[in-house]
Amino acid sequence: MKIKFKAIASLALVAASTFILGSCTSNADSSGTEYMPDMYRSPAIEPYVDYGEIRGKENEGVKGRISALVPPANTIPYYGTDSAKVHLMLPYFRKANEAFKLTHGMYGSRLSANDEYLMAVNDLNPYKLTADNSEAIFKKGKELFTANCAHCHGEKGDGNGPMVVSGAYAGVPNYTTVLATEGQMFYSIYYGKGAMGSHSSMLDKKEIWTLVHYVKKFQNSAYGTFAADGSTVATAVVADTTKKL
Amino acid sequence: MKISNNQMFKNFNKWCFGILSTMLFVGSFNSNAQGEALFKAKCASCHQPHKNGTGPKLFQVRTKWADGGAKEGSIYQWVNNWQTAVATDPYAQTVSTWSPTAMQAFPELKKEDIDAILTWVDEQPDPAAANADATGAMSTEAIGEEGVEEDSNTWVWVMLAIIFITIIMAVGGVRRQLKIVTDENVKQGETYTDEFRSWAWKNKKSVMIGCLVIFISLCVSGILGLSTIGVVEEYQPSQPIAFPHAIHTGTNGIDCKYCHNSVTKSKSAGLPTVNVCMNCHKQINGRTPAQQEQIAKVYEAAGWDAGGMKYTGKTKEIVWNKVHVLPDHVYFNHSQHVVVGGVDCKQCHGDMTKQVETAQVKTVAELNKIEGNVVLTRPTLTMGWCIECHGEKEITTGSIDTKGDGYYNEIHKRLLNNDKKLYSKYLDDGKVTVKELGGWECAKCHY
Repeated sequence: MKIKFKAIASLALVAASTFILGSCTSNADSSGTEYMPDMYRSPAIEPYVDYGEIRGKENEGVKGRISALVPPANTIPYYGTDSAKVHLMLPYFRKANEAFKLTHGMYGSRLSANDEYLMAVNDLNPYKLTADNSEAIFKKGKELFTANCAHCHGEKGDGNGPMVVSGAYAGVPNYTTVLATEGQMFYSIYYGKGAMGSHSSMLDKKEIWTLVHYVKKFQNSAYGTFAADGSTVATAVVADTTKKL
Repeated sequence: MKISNNQMFKNFNKWCFGILSTMLFVGSFNSNAQGEALFKAKCASCHQPHKNGTGPKLFQVRTKWADGGAKEGSIYQWVNNWQTAVATDPYAQTVSTWSPTAMQAFPELKKEDIDAILTWVDEQPDPAAANADATGAMSTEAIGEEGVEEDSNTWVWVMLAIIFITIIMAVGGVRRQLKIVTDENVKQGETYTDEFRSWAWKNKKSVMIGCLVIFISLCVSGILGLSTIGVVEEYQPSQPIAFPHAIHTGTNGIDCKYCHNSVTKSKSAGLPTVNVCMNCHKQINGRTPAQQEQIAKVYEAAGWDAGGMKYTGKTKEIVWNKVHVLPDHVYFNHSQHVVVGGVDCKQCHGDMTKQVETAQVKTVAELNKIEGNVVLTRPTLTMGWCIECHGEKEITTGSIDTKGDGYYNEIHKRLLNNDKKLYSKYLDDGKVTVKELGGWECAKCHY
C-alpha cells in the first residue's frame, strides 16, 4: 500500500514539474490572461472581431468568417448635411468598360459597352479651384498623393516611386508625358487604367478630384495659380484621344 | 619617305576596319539606348520583358510570331495599329484575343524603332530565374530549420526535467537503502514523512527561514502575476498570410494609410480589402517560391487567374486575426488620434518598416526606442499607458497667441478670450496637454 502511494506521489511530482516547466514557454497566439472576459469581448460584432457570441456564450459555428470586404457599389458615404456637397455624395455617373470585369475584377460595378474613358474627356472638375481655396486644396492633395500615389508615381510625379526604384514594379508613366484631361484622370483613378487598379473603394469622390488638381500641377506648374486680381492663369488642356482602357 | 602601294593599301584597310567597327559599335549602342528609352516611354506601362502584365511579355516576341506562322512584317503593322494587322493576318487575330484590353496604336513608331525596342527586350536577362536559384533554396531551408527548433525546444526541457527528477529519486532510494543497512539508528518501519519530520525538527531555524522565503516569493510573484492580467504585449496571432510589413512599407515605401485607408475617416484603421492588394500584386507575384506561395493566396481571394491574366469573379475572404484588440468597454477612435491629434502610427504600433514577421503588439520598451515617440512606462494597450500619454502629449505647438491650429482652434480661442487665468495655468509647463482639455475624463473613453 505504502509503495503504491509513493509511486503515485512521485508520478504527481513529475507531472507537476512538467506542467510548471511547460507553462513557462510563451505562446504568441495567446493574448494572455483576461480578467472578466465579458468586459473584454463585445457581444456585438466589432470590426474584424466576431466571437460568435450568443447570450454570453461563444459559438464556434457562427464565428466571423468574413474580413475586410469592399464596400458594395453605389453605397454612399455620409458627408454631413451640407447641400453644396450633395453632388460629391452621388455615385459617379460614368460606368466602367465591360472588359474591366476581367481586367480589373469589377464584377459588382455598373458596366457599359462603350469606352467611357474616351467619353470622359470633357468632364470637368466639380471641385472648383478659387484664389481662396487653392492653397488648402493643394495641401490636402499633397497629403493624399503621398499616402496613396507616391509609392509608385514618385514624390515628383515622375514615375520613379520607391516601388519602382526597388525593382518591385515597372512601367509607371511620368505625369508630364501623360496625355489626359481632368475627367479622364478622375476616370482612371476611380476605375483603374492599365496595370493600375480601381481606387474607388479607398478614396471618395472629393478626394479624387482633389488629387486631380494636384496631379495637374505636375503637368503645368502654373496650374492653379491666380493673378493678383483673382483671375486664373490660363493653362493648356491636353486630351487623351488615342488610348483605350 | 616612300610608302609602297601594298603598304598603303594595308594601312587604308586598317583604318577602314577601325572606322567601320567603331561605327558599328556606336551604332549598335545607340540603337540599344534608343530601344530602352522607347520601351520605357511607350511600352513599359503595359509590357515587361519577362512577365505578363496588362500586355503579354515581349521577350523574343519576334521569334514567337514567326514560329506561330505570322505573316512577315505583320508585327510592325500590329504596333502601328493592331486593327489593320488583325484584318490581314490570322495570327494577329489570335493574338488580339489574349486579353480583353486592347493595345494602344503607335503610328509614330518606325520599323527601326520597333526593332530597336524588341532587340533591347531580347537582351534583358530573366530576373525571376536568377532570383529563384539564388534565394529560393536558401529561404525555404531557413524556414524549415526555424520551425523544427521552435517545436522541439519545449520537449527538450520536459525530457531533461523528467530525467533529472528520476535521477534524484533513484539516488535518494539507494541512499536510504544503504542507510537502513549500515545505520542501526534507523527504525525499520520509518516512512519518508517520519524521517523528514525528525530532520526538520533538528534544523528548525533554517527550515523556518526557508519557509518564509518561499512564502514571500510566492506572494510577490502572485502580485506581479496579477499585474500581467490584461497585458497583451508581444501578442502576435498567426495570420492566414505571412504578411511582411518590412517589405511593403520598408523596402517599397508604401504609406501605412494606403492599405489601412480608413484610418483617417473611421474608428477602425481598416484592413486592406483584397482589391487593394491587387493594385500592386496583379503585377508582383513573388520572387522566391515562399513568396509565391503566399501571394497565390491573395490571388485565390481576389479571384485572379494568374495564368490567364484575368479575374474569374470567384472570390474568397481572407480572415485576418486582429492584433491590437482593446477591451469592449473602451472606446478608441483612430481618426481622432491620427487626423486631429496628429499622432504618428509608430507611437502605438512601432516601426513597421522593420517588422519582418506578421504584426505584433510591441512592448513599451521597444516603442520608447523610436525617435519622436512620447516616452511611456506602462505596458502597451493598458489604460495606464493611454492616460500617461494623454497627460504628456501636447496638442498644439507655437506661441501662446497663435496656439491652436485646426480642430483645437476654437477651444484655444475660448480659453484665451474667457479664462486667461486657467489658460495660463495650463501653460505652466509650456504646453496644453490632452489631459487639460478633458483627456482624463472617464466618459471620454468609457460610456
